[in-house]
Amino acid sequence: MKKSYRQEAGMSLIVKVVTRLTVGLILLYGIYIVTHGHLSPGGGFAGGVIIALSFIHLMLAFGREEALRRLSKRFISFFEGLGGLLFLIIAVLGYKAGYFFYDWLSKGKPFSLFSAGTIPLSYLAIGIKVTFGLFAIFLALIALKFKVKE
Amino acid sequence: MSSYILCFVLFIIGLYGILRKRNLIKIIIGTVICEYAVNLFLIIFGYRMGGHAPIHSPGADVANMVDPLVQALVLTAIVISLATTALVVAVAIRIYEKYGTFDITKIRKLRG
Repeated sequence: MKKSYRQEAGMSLIVKVVTRLTVGLILLYGIYIVTHGHLSPGGGFAGGVIIALSFIHLMLAFGREEALRRLSKRFISFFEGLGGLLFLIIAVLGYKAGYFFYDWLSKGKPFSLFSAGTIPLSYLAIGIKVTFGLFAIFLALIALKFKVKE
Repeated sequence: MSSYILCFVLFIIGLYGILRKRNLIKIIIGTVICEYAVNLFLIIFGYRMGGHAPIHSPGADVANMVDPLVQALVLTAIVISLATTALVVAVAIRIYEKYGTFDITKIRKLRG
């Protein structure tokens, strides 16, 4: 036992090393699902859930303080609000050309990544909202202090 | 037909958990099983024998797709069930904080 490995919060060394290897892959897979939402199954909600699961994975392995140091509560609530606001702005910008949710951007070539106008942007907004919303729910559920009256 | 019966059996298992169990967490798990049984029933209902996923890709024939309507419906239902489950779990945590137990037969003191 080296002395530099002081007793930290979180799980054992094996879990931490495996988490370091896998968290990036899970995050990238979630981003892939979000950005390909208009081409393949998945989309904003499913990809957002996967990204939030990578954050939760990090928090379970390294303890609450470590995860909160990387993602503070202000950061989370800011991005959750930003996701909802972006979706609303994209919807309202449809009035620029016609009606609510009107797809006024260029449609592009079908089945390519940059196509379908505002739909990928909407998926991005939903992805941000779901990611930080789900992480905030998890944080609120585990961060409650138990004070059982007896 | 047998898959519908299995969905019904799954729903009955969830209903048993809601009505018969006394632990609050087990009741919540029962409601979740009920929701999943209904989602599974809808998805099977929209299935067409030999059909493929309702995604328009190059070279796919539009004629032989499964019903996309129930899939959109079930996606929305999953999102809503996530939110309601989080709400119910939060209420259960507050009940545990107040009474110190998850047993529903002991939560009737109405202490202030």
